[in-house]
Amino acid sequence: MLAFSIKIGAQAGAGVMVTGRSLAKCFTRGGLNVVAYPEYPSIIRGGHNSYQVVVSDKPVHSPLMHSDIVVALNQDAVLFHKDSLSKGGALIYDSRIDAQKFKPRKDILLFRLPIEDLLAKSGATAKMANTVALGAALAVSGYPFGLLETVLRDEFTRKGENIVRENISAARAGYDHAKADFKGFGKSLKPASDKRKIFLEGNEAVALGAVKAGMKFYVAYPMTPASTLLHYFCENDRKLDIVVKQTEDEIAAMNYAVGANFAGVRAMTGTSGGGFSLMVEALGMAAESETPVVVTLVSRPGPGTCMPTWTEQAELRFALHASQGEFLRVILAPGDVDECFNLAWRAFNFADKYQMPVIILLDKFLGESTFSTERFDESKVKIERGKIAKDLPELPPNTRFRRYALSADGVSARPLPGEPEGMHVATSYEHDETGYSSEDFSVRKAQVDKRMAKLDALVKEIPGPALYGRKTADVTLVCWGSQKLPCLDSLEMLAEKGVTANLLHFSYLFPVNVKEVQKALAKCKKTVLVENNATAQLAGLLKEYADAGFDFHLLKYDGRQFFPEQIAGEVAKLAEKGFKGRKEIRIGDADYEYYNTQRYGL
Amino acid sequence: MATVEELGVKQRVQWCPGCGNMGVLAALKGALAELGLNRHETVIVSGIGCSGKMPHYLGTYGFESLHGRSLPVASAIKLANTGLTVIAEGGDGDGYGIGVQHFVHIMRRNYDLTYIVHDNQVYGLTTGQAAPTALLGMKTKTTPWGVVETPFNPISTAINGGATYVARGFAGDIPHLKELIKGAITHKGFALVDVLQPCVTFNYLNTYQWFQERVYKLEAAGHDPKDRAAAMEKAMEDSKSDYKKVPIGLFYKEERPTYEETLPQIKDTPLVKHDISNVDISTAYEDLE
Ligand SMILES: Cc1ncc(C[n+]2csc(CCOP(=O)(O)OP(=O)(O)O)c2C)c(N)n1
Repeated sequence: MLAFSIKIGAQAGAGVMVTGRSLAKCFTRGGLNVVAYPEYPSIIRGGHNSYQVVVSDKPVHSPLMHSDIVVALNQDAVLFHKDSLSKGGALIYDSRIDAQKFKPRKDILLFRLPIEDLLAKSGATAKMANTVALGAALAVSGYPFGLLETVLRDEFTRKGENIVRENISAARAGYDHAKADFKGFGKSLKPASDKRKIFLEGNEAVALGAVKAGMKFYVAYPMTPASTLLHYFCENDRKLDIVVKQTEDEIAAMNYAVGANFAGVRAMTGTSGGGFSLMVEALGMAAESETPVVVTLVSRPGPGTCMPTWTEQAELRFALHASQGEFLRVILAPGDVDECFNLAWRAFNFADKYQMPVIILLDKFLGESTFSTERFDESKVKIERGKIAKDLPELPPNTRFRRYALSADGVSARPLPGEPEGMHVATSYEHDETGYSSEDFSVRKAQVDKRMAKLDALVKEIPGPALYGRKTADVTLVCWGSQKLPCLDSLEMLAEKGVTANLLHFSYLFPVNVKEVQKALAKCKKTVLVENNATAQLAGLLKEYADAGFDFHLLKYDGRQFFPEQIAGEVAKLAEKGFKGRKEIRIGDADYEYYNTQRYGL
Repeated sequence: MATVEELGVKQRVQWCPGCGNMGVLAALKGALAELGLNRHETVIVSGIGCSGKMPHYLGTYGFESLHGRSLPVASAIKLANTGLTVIAEGGDGDGYGIGVQHFVHIMRRNYDLTYIVHDNQVYGLTTGQAAPTALLGMKTKTTPWGVVETPFNPISTAINGGATYVARGFAGDIPHLKELIKGAITHKGFALVDVLQPCVTFNYLNTYQWFQERVYKLEAAGHDPKDRAAAMEKAMEDSKSDYKKVPIGLFYKEERPTYEETLPQIKDTPLVKHDISNVDISTAYEDLE
């Protein structure tokens, strides 16, 4: 059976996010597995927001195209989401909406919720309309009320006891009404255990990993969809004992991050593509001066301002090539919240050990979607700071520490300011071993060779792609970063369609561990590369470094990630045709249907 | 603690003979020596330009960053380790041109650091284009018909922008400049020292002699640096007098809490000394349950 999916829709600014999050937390506290996925336009008021909660007692990873319950708080929500309802699904809608005028399908249940009356009865304010609907949705799901009370309490405590009480009674009114009146919904959800789980966004998981790694300084300029990372750090700075700085722009942010790392503090910056564009020069400075730095790049569609609140995986090449000149860097693309945590702490070790920039590459989909998970396994966490030099011998008068001394592994000792006898100049100019600018050809070549020599040890720390599902399969899906989530959920759907499939997922994108990649690909029969971009950037990278190729490229770049149903559908079609046909398959979603006066006779 | 002698580095100096930067270097060395600062606890952060070479000639820690970016790099070094003395420096193009957004915002923040600007009215390293402080009518490579843009006034901008120590020195008067730099370093907060620095190769107009004929010391004129209105008046005296009178010295000084002082996280221990061997994130988990 597919996972259970509830979608709440309302006008932007109506509080859908808080309502949806409360519902999702309520399921999380019942020990269920939850994915929560917000969609919102780049407008503060007036656009349409939706929040989808996918829940199951089995693992779930991704938003789905279908819903079992739609909660419609305005007319648009009825129109936009009614057709996503599965057979027997329930449309719960505010009784002030005339749902009939949109000719709802006959095979769904229509639950008309008198929100205004229930608000009045429960003594709650009009602002709590969402909470009434929340209670009703919970009742239709067959879920007990108790956990919602604890969630609402935690959500509203800081607004005072009155607000808490009013919200609880509003939810209760919706819940009781639905229990009594809304009959016939066939599915039901029950708490699975009382094991405490955490519920967090990809961005927050990166934040936790960074803090665990000893990140003491976060510096950024706001930009969706990286802003929640900044907000999380700001909200918790004193608790986490870190310093957070909002700068005048991203140019400053990256220069701050490099400066703090030079001074010996693990520091990170974060942004989306537009901000990263402004960071590029200082990224190169980090490389030339061999200063560690970590940046979290949460991508959205580009180029330009493009679609700020939507998602795309089109910045792999940008992350890889950003800045003039040639230098090594590490690019990590977590595929779920656990990987966000683990790759974040590892990022700081890579940066310190190899004294180079590290990019954690996320996208809006993973960064801003929320997932239930266990507390992270911290047993593997290590703090590796590399060659930080201490207790140095006395420098001869009027000389400098040889900060850029040539060494077999390419990494030189790095004294931190404050360390006696370690005085040196870090510089963005090409330099000799002491850091003095040099334009001698031999010095230039030796320093480039030194920096590039880091690859040997680095690549040994880069694992190959991870295999999910059965060892051998008729077809192997190949993807990177966030698209792991819909790909994983599509495997079971494919099995139901009689196609055996598995998944190769890349979370370490650069440098490429050629041997491991080739070994993994050699075991595949048919391959379908799945990328949330228009140009199959991973395919290009693997062609270049590992001489690898794929039978099919399944590409989507309309602003949304893949849904598992889409991947399963396209791959099943390929299987049916004996894996023949055009190599490139480009798909996109249907637009929301706006008021069609003819169709609805309006 | 280091003497002027010990502060030197055996290095070819890459400035033209007679360059005003020599005077700035001498004054800075003198200031560091007289203040008795430890070399390993001092960091000079420069941008890119002729002026940006400075860290290489001082035996302290240094960071030669990017064109226009000395301030953000220096700010972070200070936040990371409040135990360090941090001095940012660079050219007028660097600080008032390409990096002006950092200049404007750092003054609001009042970090405890010093910013020395080598103000030579031209872009030296890139062979003599007009800088933001170039005077009206001045002919340069990029202004063959003379500058038509009103010169940027760093002093009035700094007073207006919230800098808590605003001074101007002259590279031709090393003892005076040294005292201004000492005052800037000991001042608790953001200190600007704008230095009139003749570029002997590309600026034919604002020569040593040109400045010598025009500069006068605010101290001698009885200026009170606590008087903001008077400071603003003095800041505009050069342009108002059609550059017949160019005041140097301390224009303005004010005590205001530094940015660092507002952060309880670093009240007792600088960030760089926080123990990160096993950070406890259990309360973060609790908040996310
Ligand atoms: C992003 C960028 N743009 C342009 C340059 C070229 N550039 C180097 S120094 C400089 C100007 C130098 O003038 P100024 O900052 O006044 O310093 P001076 O050399 O006069 O000391 C320029 C334009 C650069 N290095 N980086």
